[in-house]
Amino acid sequence: MKKNFASAIAIRCRNLSAGYGSERVLSDVNLDIPQGVFLPFVGPNGAGKTTLLRVFLGLLKPLQGTLKTSFNDAAPGYVPQFKSIDPLFPVTVRAVVTMGLYTRLGWWRRPSKEQRRQVSQVMEELRLAPFAEKNYRELSGGNKQKALIARALVSGAEVFILDEPSSELDEATERDVFHHLISLVRERAKTVLMAHHGIEHPLVREFDQVCWVSQGQAKLCSAAKLAREGGV
Amino acid sequence: MTVWMQILQSFPEAFASGLLISAVCAFLGVFVVLKRLVFIGATLSEAAACGIAASFVLGIAPVAGALTATFAAVTLLAGNTHEERLPRDSVLAAVFIGAASLGILFAAKSARGLEEVKSLLYGDLILTSGRDLNLLAVCLVPSAAAVGIFLRPILMTFLDRDAAKVLKVRVVFWELLFFYALALAVSASSKLGGMLLVFCMLVVPPMTALLLTQRLRMAIVLSVAAAWISVACGFYLSMISDLPVNPSIGFFSCIFLAAAAAVRRFLKT
Repeated sequence: MKKNFASAIAIRCRNLSAGYGSERVLSDVNLDIPQGVFLPFVGPNGAGKTTLLRVFLGLLKPLQGTLKTSFNDAAPGYVPQFKSIDPLFPVTVRAVVTMGLYTRLGWWRRPSKEQRRQVSQVMEELRLAPFAEKNYRELSGGNKQKALIARALVSGAEVFILDEPSSELDEATERDVFHHLISLVRERAKTVLMAHHGIEHPLVREFDQVCWVSQGQAKLCSAAKLAREGGV
Repeated sequence: MTVWMQILQSFPEAFASGLLISAVCAFLGVFVVLKRLVFIGATLSEAAACGIAASFVLGIAPVAGALTATFAAVTLLAGNTHEERLPRDSVLAAVFIGAASLGILFAAKSARGLEEVKSLLYGDLILTSGRDLNLLAVCLVPSAAAVGIFLRPILMTFLDRDAAKVLKVRVVFWELLFFYALALAVSASSKLGGMLLVFCMLVVPPMTALLLTQRLRMAIVLSVAAAWISVACGFYLSMISDLPVNPSIGFFSCIFLAAAAAVRRFLKT
């Protein structure tokens, strides 16, 4: 994939440390992530990929250091693993996608005609329209993941943060989900940051640059070099 | 005079309070069941019973005792900061045991004695006065309205907490609002409904509804409908057979649940 580094910065962190309680998972991380890129975060299990993304999302407060984001008060588009939605809840796919409008609707306003059209259009683009009125739990893993991508798209976010979205998908579905994510960067100039389990993965090797997270550190590096050397 | 005329003429407050308690508990219970927290129904009912028993010893209004105890229980449960070591249901169990023990001790110390424990557990709708009904309405209607009006953020919080937080939903606030509304409903219902009926309405009609539909709003409607039909059947059985009302309602709730399970099984095959 041809990267497209713009001059603007989506996320900048300086001497950032993060962890849980007294346990420090990441120490002194310095990163400048440009806008309009697809950046996989790769590294061994437990290295801190999810921790770093949770800090970017505002779900975890840094223990130390500074973090500046281009989205500031606006919500980033968060795409968790599809299993994050409790399958017991009887909600339709349309209802899940419409939740992305919350920042604009608040707790009281009903979606306008235009917003409902936007929800339908996003579902159409992701080929979810036939399942719109189905229960979320009835969808396949791939379509569930696409529904969560659609929710993030509807929110109007510029930066998308995904936590191992393809970890439980088969190869074909994973390729389909990646295709949609890549089109976000290419066609809509969005920034996509995604935790992924391995640099060995052929899809990850297609990128020029990845963020390697290991031993409490995170740095941007060449995907090809990283794959050759099996880690930095 | 038909049985129904007899119920409506002799026990209008009792019947109305049965409908009110069952509707609100069955509505809130849909979220209790979906959130896999059915034990919270029993725990809050037990806390309310403990508060009522304490009110007899302390000489305060029973509803004030029940409210204090259930709100204290919710605050205690919300403050459980050891979730990585202690699962939520074990903390619920501890609060349940504490409230049950304390309730019996308070009842033993009160002038009414251990016989009071029985009435705390089973309650009796028939004893509802006009004042009880007004008090019920004042507590139950706002608690149901709060959850109904703020359904969107509450649902988002329960459905996907992290995503809701990223979307600027104030998850802690909405979660607490739901549980305090639940505590208010349980504490107001406990004196008349007793632990058995309140727990039953929080769990059984929602289960019945969730077996029959895959839509949340329809589940709420069916849950309330199942609860109301159980109340009507329970009152009818109670009148014609001279049986206590609350267990009769509980019995019919379970019959409808079994019927819904059979229908679901039939539709599946």
